[in-house]
Amino acid sequence: RWHPIGILVQDPVGFNADEAHNIVKECVDGVLGGEDCNQNNINQWTAGIVEEFLTYLVKLVKAYKYIVTGAVIQRSAYGFHTASSWFWDSTSDGTCTVRWENRTMNCIVNVFAIAVVL
Amino acid sequence: MSLPLQVILMPDIAEDRATQSLKKRGSMSSLSSHEFRRKDLHGRTKDSMSTVSYMDEPSQRDDVSRLTVQMENTYQLGPTKHFPVVTVNHILKDVLTNYLQEEAYEPELCRQMTKTISEVIKARVKDFILPRYKLIVIIHIGQLSSQSIFIGSRCLWDPKNDAVSSYVFRNSSLFAVANVYAVYFE
Repeated sequence: RWHPIGILVQDPVGFNADEAHNIVKECVDGVLGGEDCNQNNINQWTAGIVEEFLTYLVKLVKAYKYIVTGAVIQRSAYGFHTASSWFWDSTSDGTCTVRWENRTMNCIVNVFAIAVVL
Repeated sequence: MSLPLQVILMPDIAEDRATQSLKKRGSMSSLSSHEFRRKDLHGRTKDSMSTVSYMDEPSQRDDVSRLTVQMENTYQLGPTKHFPVVTVNHILKDVLTNYLQEEAYEPELCRQMTKTISEVIKARVKDFILPRYKLIVIIHIGQLSSQSIFIGSRCLWDPKNDAVSSYVFRNSSLFAVANVYAVYFE
């Protein structure tokens, strides 16, 4: 944002993780809602969830770069682990992780938002 | 892109100061490991989540002054050197192979392993990472079986300066996927 006298002013600092959390949940519910795990569709679903969420983020029009990662796993007796670590400026950057499951599959979505300007 | 300013400094001094202030803010990593276990006989699902987080060199003073200070102009439009994707690929391959070559899948072991590996990878990439780059490292480890898994990611960034590097490792009982995202900032 530009202040009237020409100095660049920062938007309210930080990434709103709670809101992002809710939006992701809605996205995933919408795409995977009543579905059963299906080899053919899994590709489309993952792409769909991630892209839908990214379009929402774009509409926010903030000076941020985004990385959205999704993993969809068939529910089975086997274990699965995920970990992530990051090196960034914790005052302006943020992350949010959403876990969702239904009868036949589990879904994990990670969102990372990184500020562009110092 | 750079901010307008009242005082103009020499470009290299300004860059040092910017790098220093990033270091002072430090790096924070929060490791959480999600594990899905099979349903037990009664149909209840057990799952566990553990979180480890630490922040090194936090600086209270910086947080307050950060909001009011304006950055000096460095006249630098892009990174001096681009992100070395191939080198990072080799690092991922080395780390995953060293840590997981002889391991068999076990819940506790893999839980610790994901956290350790992501920290190790982050430290190694940080060693020769170029200034003005932020890093994100993601590790998935799972038991090799007949289940299907699909992992996808989309990024909204500047493809000229930002990059992703990825590696998949398999042995007889487990698989591991490592992704490193590097994002350039002003």
